[in-house]
Amino acid sequence: MDPRLRLRDQRKHQFQQIVHHPYFGFVLLGGLMLFVQLIQSLGVAIPVSIMRAFGLTMIYIVIGLGFAILLGYAGLASLGTAGFVGIGTYALGYLTNARGFSVGMVVFYSVLGAIILGVVVGFISLRIEGMYLAIITLGLSEILNEIFKNAVTITNGTNGLLMPQLVFFGTYYTVSNETVFAAIAVVLVLMMFFTFNIIKSPTGRAMLAMKNSESAAQAMGVSVLKYRLLAFIIATVFALVGGILYMSYIRYTIPTTWSLAFSLNLLAAVIVGGSRSIWGIVLGSFMIFGLDLAVFQRIIVTPDRNAAIAAFIERFPEHQEALRTFFVNLQQSLPVITYILNGLLIILVVMFYPGGLYQLVLTIKTKLVTAWKNAVRKWKVRRYGQEV
Amino acid sequence: MFDTELFWRQFFLVLIASLGVFFLIDLLWLRKRPKRTEKQNRWINILIGLWILSLFWMFSGLITWYGVVITIADKILSFSSLALATTGIVLIFKTSITTNFAQGIVATFGVFFASVVITRAAAWGWSGWQLAMFGMVCGAIVSFLMGLAIDVFIIRKSKYITSVGKQMITMGLVLVVSGLIPVIYGIPTLSVPRLSYGDPILIPFGENMVSITPHAMWALVITVVLLGLLFSALRFTKWGLGVRATASNEIVAGMMGVNTRLITALSWAIAGALGGISAYLLAEGGSLSVGMMTATQVNGFLSGILGGFSSFLGPIVGAVLIPVLSALFFYVSSLWSNALVYGIILLIVLAKPLGLFGKKIAKKV
Repeated sequence: MDPRLRLRDQRKHQFQQIVHHPYFGFVLLGGLMLFVQLIQSLGVAIPVSIMRAFGLTMIYIVIGLGFAILLGYAGLASLGTAGFVGIGTYALGYLTNARGFSVGMVVFYSVLGAIILGVVVGFISLRIEGMYLAIITLGLSEILNEIFKNAVTITNGTNGLLMPQLVFFGTYYTVSNETVFAAIAVVLVLMMFFTFNIIKSPTGRAMLAMKNSESAAQAMGVSVLKYRLLAFIIATVFALVGGILYMSYIRYTIPTTWSLAFSLNLLAAVIVGGSRSIWGIVLGSFMIFGLDLAVFQRIIVTPDRNAAIAAFIERFPEHQEALRTFFVNLQQSLPVITYILNGLLIILVVMFYPGGLYQLVLTIKTKLVTAWKNAVRKWKVRRYGQEV
Repeated sequence: MFDTELFWRQFFLVLIASLGVFFLIDLLWLRKRPKRTEKQNRWINILIGLWILSLFWMFSGLITWYGVVITIADKILSFSSLALATTGIVLIFKTSITTNFAQGIVATFGVFFASVVITRAAAWGWSGWQLAMFGMVCGAIVSFLMGLAIDVFIIRKSKYITSVGKQMITMGLVLVVSGLIPVIYGIPTLSVPRLSYGDPILIPFGENMVSITPHAMWALVITVVLLGLLFSALRFTKWGLGVRATASNEIVAGMMGVNTRLITALSWAIAGALGGISAYLLAEGGSLSVGMMTATQVNGFLSGILGGFSSFLGPIVGAVLIPVLSALFFYVSSLWSNALVYGIILLIVLAKPLGLFGKKIAKKV
């Protein structure tokens, strides 16, 4: 064989090994985000609101990953996520503003607190199951929300807590949004690695067994106590890390953000995307949070501010006034329309694709691959004649 | 007249002592039995009942019985509308095994319609009471139809989806309907009239008088009548038997010839109508908003949990307890009353996971 050809084959093999590695996609996503941030810093005009949408969506993906382990693997429905994320934001805000704690210390204490909190909720989940658990965690979240509102000395009450600067090793620094964005991307990739390893390990399989049949899992030697506590601890740690990222990125937190609506949106993201796969979470978070933040909130159809619409109106001189008022009204009702579309999307996906949008993507991919293979085969038959 | 320090001393003593006693009994005695028998359950019930009564007794010592009674009288409107909303949630939980997040928003849709109808009907020369009643019935009918439509077009088609999935569907409905309300009814503020604008009704209590607004009195009457009708329907009619059969096992009920589709559809519709009336009562002459039922919704879930979703009467007890307790704890701390009540609910549910009146349903593995 030609040595050059063999070398090429070897390279191809190596390349495929890298591409097919499970981490490749995660690193690619993180790298893409870093790249976007880099070119924005270098002067490419990417609007700030789009960058913010990406940043927030990444934070929600982190929170969603923890929630997916809880819901998709351990089968425990929780509506208390908002409260836990809120704790993360307030922990960073208070400890930085009032105490001057370094970020590392805050993360350490938060993880410690998250473990305690996760154990408490986990023990609750041993006695209460299913929908009941969802409502009880909702009650817990309401209690936390009351605390955010009323513990004024720590949380600054309903006015919200502002955190202008971060502390690193005893010194206050003003960290730019770009740096935090990059940090979020890195944390996201690490969290994805962590989640991937959890769900592909005996722990993930044990959780899945527990979800499908608790009694059967127990009979096979799976400790329900251990894995329920573990699932809640993981979800809480992810939520608190998400809260810390949120606070360092937005620098402001207010109790109304951490209400039932947030928990429900997160649940929607996980269910719509598909609770059993990491890419499903990414897709779902983008659908529920990212699309709204990055696309819908930016659509402008007012003729004065949108040249294409203005040109479109110019083409119908006799109906100009009517069209103009129509588009102005449309602009006003746009937020409402996105609301309705989001709701319809959730309903349709749950009704027709219970496995989530990721299942839809996989189906389409399989169909495309099959179609491509068929086309190639047909072409070969036409070119070289029928194989016998 | 309120001694906060005395309260905390008593409250924590009662709370911690009862918790300690309960979990001690639970760990040392109840857990060792092969399974919880009826008798043991009754003991737990009596303990928890005594505990709740002791809470009331404690408050009577702090703000006198008269204070307790006027607090309860003040909350009549809240707990009657909450009882209606909770019954709707429980009805749907029983027949479709899901927590219906759309209950509140469907009710809101109905009350918006009622407001529009009342403004139209104002020209017909009816008296205020007739107008309000007409509006309420119209709102309830719209909510009824909407509940029916939700079941026929969505829930029926998603029979084989998990209960969390159905919950997501109702959540999507919340988004859709709360988007539709401003589109259909427009942005301007709407309001519905009270059922009655008369003078407060005075009821003698010892030497003092307890005053109740006529609107609240009407709300109580309507709630009692409606729930009485519903419960007698559940107990004595064929539909009620069907609901109970469907609640216990849908597939077997279907095999036995129960028309489960009709039963489920009617349950959704009736739940919608109950929600519509509850929203009308709760609006209390004020202006309407899209999020007006959110708090009632959350409290409805919690009272369902507190009373036990497996019974019909339990959630109503929960629905009465939650507003009353939070009003009583308001004397203790205006800021923390809700958090305290939620905490108490959490503790009670931990002690009795199926709720105060819940029954354990045996499940095959």
